[in-house]
Amino acid sequence: MLWACQGEKPVGRTDEVTLTLGAYTVPKEVYQKEIIPAFQKYWLEKTGQSVKFEESYIASGAQSRAIAAGFEADIAALSLEQDVERLRENGLITHAWKSRKHNGFVTRSVVVIAYRAGNPKNIKDWTDLAREGISVLYPSPKTSGGAMWDVNAIYGAGLKLSQVEKGYQDSEFAKQLLKSIQKNVKVMDKSGRASVTTFENGVGDAIVTYENEVLLRQMHGRKMPYVIPSATILIENPIALIDQNVDKHQNREVTKAFIDFVFLPESQRAFARYGFRPVDKTIAEEFLQKFPVPPYLFDINYLGGWSGVSEDIFGPDGAWTRVIEELGRD
Amino acid sequence: MTNKAFFRLNISKGDLILRSLSLFYIGLLIILPIIAISSEAFQGGLDSLWKNITTAQAVYSLKLTFFVAFLMGILNIITGTATAWVLTKYNFPLKNLMNALIDLPFAIPTVVTGIMLVALYGPKSLIGSLLGRHGIEIIYNKPGIVLALLFVSFPFVVRTVQPVLHEMDRDMEEAAKTLGAKPLTIFRRIVLPTLTPAILTGAALSFSRAIGEFGSIAIVSGNIPFKTQVASVYIYGELESYNTQGALGVSVALLFSSFIILILLNRLQVWSCKHETR
Repeated sequence: MLWACQGEKPVGRTDEVTLTLGAYTVPKEVYQKEIIPAFQKYWLEKTGQSVKFEESYIASGAQSRAIAAGFEADIAALSLEQDVERLRENGLITHAWKSRKHNGFVTRSVVVIAYRAGNPKNIKDWTDLAREGISVLYPSPKTSGGAMWDVNAIYGAGLKLSQVEKGYQDSEFAKQLLKSIQKNVKVMDKSGRASVTTFENGVGDAIVTYENEVLLRQMHGRKMPYVIPSATILIENPIALIDQNVDKHQNREVTKAFIDFVFLPESQRAFARYGFRPVDKTIAEEFLQKFPVPPYLFDINYLGGWSGVSEDIFGPDGAWTRVIEELGRD
Repeated sequence: MTNKAFFRLNISKGDLILRSLSLFYIGLLIILPIIAISSEAFQGGLDSLWKNITTAQAVYSLKLTFFVAFLMGILNIITGTATAWVLTKYNFPLKNLMNALIDLPFAIPTVVTGIMLVALYGPKSLIGSLLGRHGIEIIYNKPGIVLALLFVSFPFVVRTVQPVLHEMDRDMEEAAKTLGAKPLTIFRRIVLPTLTPAILTGAALSFSRAIGEFGSIAIVSGNIPFKTQVASVYIYGELESYNTQGALGVSVALLFSSFIILILLNRLQVWSCKHETR
């Protein structure tokens, strides 16, 4: 009966369509306040169809695992490339999600150092975090994708700075920089958010975190000055359509439209207002003052991509793993 | 078959049903999950299980877990017994309210406990900043972990000791008193032996509760490997970073060592029960 009924109508053309968004927590506000309402308006005007959104915002890794375990999201908007890659490896995503414009990334950010108002400890760059008596916060890379970016930024900055000074990438120098900063780390929270909360609770002289996280706090009137280190990593956040769920829900058309929509200038501007660096070049130009480009900016490929990082930094013999063990022995 | 025998069989039938039902229940709720965890952990073979348990970080976290749980157990025995004593032996205003407050830690989500302790003793709080000036750290250090454990396990010893104290025969105490025994002697020779089984039960309960505690510790400990990272938080980290085998290995180590400690405490309790009746 049900099948027969569906057969009578043209597929996917009802008055209302539902879209399920599985996202990480950080862009929640911009999706809820700006992008989703704008898209609903746009789609209603274009097709006469109203879009109902079901949204879930949890930590990126947890969201990825939830979707892999059967949470039927049509769109995955996550923090880390490999969280989306997992869905492709699982067979949930069957198209080449990275072959679209901007490689499937919708927003960018950089890793920055935030400090106390007035900068009493005179923090300007990574080496200041390595000084004795400075206490630093970042979350645990074991539980937080954000912390992996933080550690990548520090280690990569070590490589970059040694390259600039000595002419070659000195991995020993990079490891030492990481070690002397890790030594000053006071609390390693579960997530980036928890880490910022701890910082606001008065712990630490400085916190290593995302630029967009700090800008969002500033938007809410919190005092949180920050500095973009001369060498830091470019963070890129992916978005992808989940083929299997879209096929099941028969809403591919609207899902695709939504993903195209987040790349439009208006959406990119909305992201920028909420602290994310736009991937769109012309919009990025508009916001150049808000988002200056540091002289030695590098991306994940500089560190050999995520596979290189999971080996050289977080692997059993990686720099971070060794730093932790050495500090445990000292 | 005589009528009598049939009757007896009838009773044991009901008995049998009750017994197998409760065994089935224990099996379903406790044994099955434990078997599932263990068999998963053993999947890579004994060698890899051992390797997972004996990584330097895992060993440290296990040691720290048992250390803080043990410390908390000792403190709980003293404060819990004292609290139960005060609540049964003395009358004071608002006693009923106090009595009701004892169970409150069980009703509070442990994450909230963590947040509350940070607000109270954190570096920005009045107490925390005062202590911090003297170089004493509570939150984001080991004392914070013990404090969180004391809070979440507070009711156990109080609630196991209280009824025993309540039911206790005062005659013996009175007799000892008439015979000239000093209060401390009475407590040590008469009261304490009666209370010991209950105290041990309470201690065992709070100990096992402490070993598994996660929510509050994740917030107050600071989670620095080789410093303040306990086993439950280590396990969580390994799970989140896709090292399921590493997490399960440490879980099994935690499970079995707690099991052994609980059996030992049980033995001790049985022994002290016998000791008392003699």
